[in-house]
Amino acid sequence: MKCPLEFDPSAELIVAYGARTLDPDAAAAFERHLDSCATCCKVAAAQKAVWDALDEWPGIPVSTDFDRRLFRKIQAARQRTWWWRALVPLTACLALASMLLLRNPQASPQPIPQIEQVQHALDDMDLLSQLGTAN
Amino acid sequence: MAPDLIDFDAPPIPQPSWKSRVNYSRADAGPIRETCDRDSELMLRVRDGDQGSFELLLEKHRGPMIHFLYRMVQNDAVAEELSQEVFLRVYKSRGNYEPSAKFTTWLFRIGTHLALNWIRDGRNEKSQTSLDKETPDGAARQVPDRRRTVEQELLYQAKLREVRQAIQSLPLKQRAAVMMHKYEEMEYAQIAGVIGCSESAVKSLIFRAYEALRGRLAHMA
Repeated sequence: MKCPLEFDPSAELIVAYGARTLDPDAAAAFERHLDSCATCCKVAAAQKAVWDALDEWPGIPVSTDFDRRLFRKIQAARQRTWWWRALVPLTACLALASMLLLRNPQASPQPIPQIEQVQHALDDMDLLSQLGTAN
Repeated sequence: MAPDLIDFDAPPIPQPSWKSRVNYSRADAGPIRETCDRDSELMLRVRDGDQGSFELLLEKHRGPMIHFLYRMVQNDAVAEELSQEVFLRVYKSRGNYEPSAKFTTWLFRIGTHLALNWIRDGRNEKSQTSLDKETPDGAARQVPDRRRTVEQELLYQAKLREVRQAIQSLPLKQRAAVMMHKYEEMEYAQIAGVIGCSESAVKSLIFRAYEALRGRLAHMA
């Protein structure tokens, strides 16, 4: 077997060998090569050391209330979705009404002052001016 | 030659062609490949409103997802929170789910995205501190094995800390790729789907990562 590191500096074969994903024939051929190649032997030993070291690193246990907390969040998300669904058409209606009002300000006319009120105001002003002249 | 430029399929492969004999499918090694179609079917049922199928998916994948995220962020509480966010996003996205890729590819893409964002946001500084001080999470969190003597336990914890620091020293994408390759037993193509790059780029990431790890951990042999 030709040295795999000569044509594969990334050591793909050695990684696969360390991961035990080589088929038995390929693994056997590589092991025969290891007997005569110090470089591959060194890299393979180092890769095995890495693999074994990573095996030592355990995962963590899942909290007993993991699912409960998740389903609570899902429930909250559902409720938010419901509110959003109600809020969107409501907001749209309000926006539409505002736009209509802005486009047609006559729609809500200002109160027209009564003629009598104006007449009274003019009379009052006349009276005040007369008083001012008299003084 | 830069590892990224290596094209394994381009030159004639010397005999014996070991490359063609590498068992990349890992059909007998990992549970992911065997169950991917079923997972997609379950997710389609979730899309149709079947809550039970979501619970089945959760039951199957929450452990691997938490372990993956824990090894990425190296903080158990954060790993759980991020895992919750992953499954919450899966649930929220159920209406748009299309089985264009393996379910686990999609799932780990979400998880990787969240983990990388969390790390990039600098929110891992606290966990880094705790790692150095061996407080609440990580190494100190490991339950002592009563079969070990005190000395063996100390050696084990020191070894574990060294492994964690070696992993943490890797660039983020290399870290993610190695975690999926080593612990989730994913194929290169699937890791490429998760990370969003080519298969050859994933090989390059993984081999550079293992090269760095060999430099740091080879003495443990």
